[in-house]
Amino acid sequence: MVAVKKTVQQVENLEKYQHGFVTSIEQDFAPKGLSADTIAFISEKKGEPKWMLDWRMAAYERWLALNEPDWAKVSFPKIDFQDSYYYAAPKERTGPASLDEVDPEILETYAKLGIPLREQEVLAGVIGSPRYAVDAVFDSVSVVTTFKKELAAVGVIFCPMSEAIREHPELVQKYLGTVVPVSDNYYACLNSAVFSDGSFVYIPPGVRCPMELSTYFRINAAESGQFERTLIIADAGSYVSYLEGCTAPMRDENQLHAAVVELVALDDAEIKYSTVQNWYPGDPETGRGGIYNFVTKRADCRGARSKVSWTQVETGSAITWKYPSCILRGEGSVGEFYSIAITNGRQQADTGTKMIHLGANTRSRIISKGISAGRSSNTYRGLVSIHPKAGGARNFTQCDSLLIGKTCAAHTVPYVEARNGSCVLEHEATTTRLSEDQLFYAMQRGFSQEEAVQLLVNGFVKEVLQELPMEFAVEAQKLVAISLEGSVG
Amino acid sequence: MSLSNALLTGDLNQLPGRRDEDWRWTDLRGVIKTAPPRSPIDDRVLAAGPFGSLEGQEILIINGQSSAGLELVIAPDTRQVVRLRLVSTTDGTSHTVAFKVKLGAGAELVLLESHEGLADGYISSVDLDFDLAEGGRLERIVIADDGAHAISVNRSHVVMGPKSSFSQSVLTRGARRQRIETVLVHPGAEAQVEMNGVYLLDGQRHADITTSVEHAGPGGVTRQLTKGVVRDQSRGVFQGRILVDAGADQTEAKMGHHALILSDRAEVDARPELLIHADDVQCAHGNTIGALDEEALFYMCQRGLPEEEARSLLIAAFVDEVVCLIRDSAAQDCTRTWISDARGRT
Repeated sequence: MVAVKKTVQQVENLEKYQHGFVTSIEQDFAPKGLSADTIAFISEKKGEPKWMLDWRMAAYERWLALNEPDWAKVSFPKIDFQDSYYYAAPKERTGPASLDEVDPEILETYAKLGIPLREQEVLAGVIGSPRYAVDAVFDSVSVVTTFKKELAAVGVIFCPMSEAIREHPELVQKYLGTVVPVSDNYYACLNSAVFSDGSFVYIPPGVRCPMELSTYFRINAAESGQFERTLIIADAGSYVSYLEGCTAPMRDENQLHAAVVELVALDDAEIKYSTVQNWYPGDPETGRGGIYNFVTKRADCRGARSKVSWTQVETGSAITWKYPSCILRGEGSVGEFYSIAITNGRQQADTGTKMIHLGANTRSRIISKGISAGRSSNTYRGLVSIHPKAGGARNFTQCDSLLIGKTCAAHTVPYVEARNGSCVLEHEATTTRLSEDQLFYAMQRGFSQEEAVQLLVNGFVKEVLQELPMEFAVEAQKLVAISLEGSVG
Repeated sequence: MSLSNALLTGDLNQLPGRRDEDWRWTDLRGVIKTAPPRSPIDDRVLAAGPFGSLEGQEILIINGQSSAGLELVIAPDTRQVVRLRLVSTTDGTSHTVAFKVKLGAGAELVLLESHEGLADGYISSVDLDFDLAEGGRLERIVIADDGAHAISVNRSHVVMGPKSSFSQSVLTRGARRQRIETVLVHPGAEAQVEMNGVYLLDGQRHADITTSVEHAGPGGVTRQLTKGVVRDQSRGVFQGRILVDAGADQTEAKMGHHALILSDRAEVDARPELLIHADDVQCAHGNTIGALDEEALFYMCQRGLPEEEARSLLIAAFVDEVVCLIRDSAAQDCTRTWISDARGRT
């Protein structure tokens, strides 16, 4: 009954989008619009070496030649790329050396969001939980990164991308753009030209990262986009668990978030990447405002027996368009994808994964749970590709969709390509609505309709929630409840 | 954009190719570089086709030409068995066919359709329109026996009335490029749809079974099962789309695609799609691809069967599940014979 009580409690605590406030703070902006000058401005602001500026400029040239893709099952008015700021950062005094120098407004913002920026703290209200190192990215810059010294003691590098470019150019040059090439797709190319901060992580050989690493992305400035870039390298035999969270204020305008995340796992290394995406979804009635979340996430399992596990809980954004993928290159490497995508109001999500099996005996597992409510549309789109040399490759895919209400839509579009005689692929998908019988049973036991729906939905997504680190799982469960508020009755 | 348009106009830009999402695995642009001449009129007397042993009216279309007209009308409340033979006889030529089938209210038709390649390399484009009035019942059994170097596209468009029933079984050995496509609008309203298929490919053959079912009204039922066996360097493609429109509640749709890959150079590509706009539905698809079950093989060998025979039995049993779904028992026997012949030829 504990679980039931928890659910009831959550339902009682239901609120609309909780993170929609704006922090009033002085900010520096790049001139509005996108041009070579904007890119030079960003590069200069970040004190980048020339090779980085050249890289950005080359990307910009490629981007100009690309066309915006339109194949996803999402519709939105054409984006005016000249009507946005590509760089927005809190006005620096001299650049904060310690937490005490960070603008108190920003600290308060993170306190409100429940993100622990003080090293002795742990995630909200969970006593005895493991510690988390946090990189807090506010619009285009990282404002603080915690536990850096303690991590450096074991050789782990955890810092903002701009710092990595200055301090560890050899690692950045070796790996940046090797998983998601500059011209991979329209938005990745745009990101390569204008990216601002994201996190850089390097785990040296044989090291098990002593704490969970996390980055918290916050969009605050109006009329701006966020283009973070994250690069995680797990050297041979290492392990890291990385968490990512994101929120934005409630505004009537649409804001673009076009990030690129690259993961590299060498021999026997393991990366666990978890995302709880809670960008402002727009007004549920009118569909006005909300974030366009067009993200490219890809992992390269380069080493033998390496493993990458993506877990995502997608509840926010007006439009989500992303496919965290694994290139299973190393022999015996493993890719996993666990996803919950919830759309309500007028949200649109087109998300899924790609598992590209290149090496022998590679394995992948995909569990996707989509829930659509309101007038939203939710698409699972995935690819499992077994190349001729991937003998003994194995894939299991399960995509379940749940529909709540008459006006929503759920789509499943899986692509399967098998080019090897010794592979085994299994795929199953179902689309149904909440079972009347189960609802009736729960309501007959005294739950209101909304509570009963929560209970059933929690059961539906449990398989994915249990893959999340514990503290995130608690957060995610609450988020599921909030996202579906008002979807029945 | 279609093969028939390209052939009729001579404009090869009308050909679908890899960059067209629905044709990404069946590239016609890459294999047709020049428009071939029209196939000649051929009035030779042909040996019996794969359904030759069965009774019923025969409609013969050779190289796109038919003396019996290009329309078949079944009067209300009558039952007919018709053998529709589409024969291609001349290498290096092309032809198009547009054929209409109309079933009156309560009419019943068993359509035994065979695509016979008496030459090796030709281009054939067949468009079939099926119109089923209320309560019409159509069982369509297709045997596609094209030449190894042929390019063949067979597209059917099906419109169904209330309480009608459409049951289709497609059996094919593929060709250089072959697509068998069925697009169907399901009215719901107690109508029944069953679409099954088998592809048995070897050499460098290619076969693409594509289906699209749109549930436009409430209460419709669709069942689909497609099975395939690919060996050598062949390539099997299955694309199945189930679209449930808003308001088409109580739809029940199930789709299965299962393939055996028997060689390291063979390929199977699949895209089973569910596009759902109504909430009170039960829709599911399953898709499996893999080698023969080693455990089953071991079990049979252990019982004294030679390995080759055990393999053969397992493959026969694998595809026979689809043959068993053919309702007309005489046609079922015929297809079983054709399958065992086709497998014997490989």
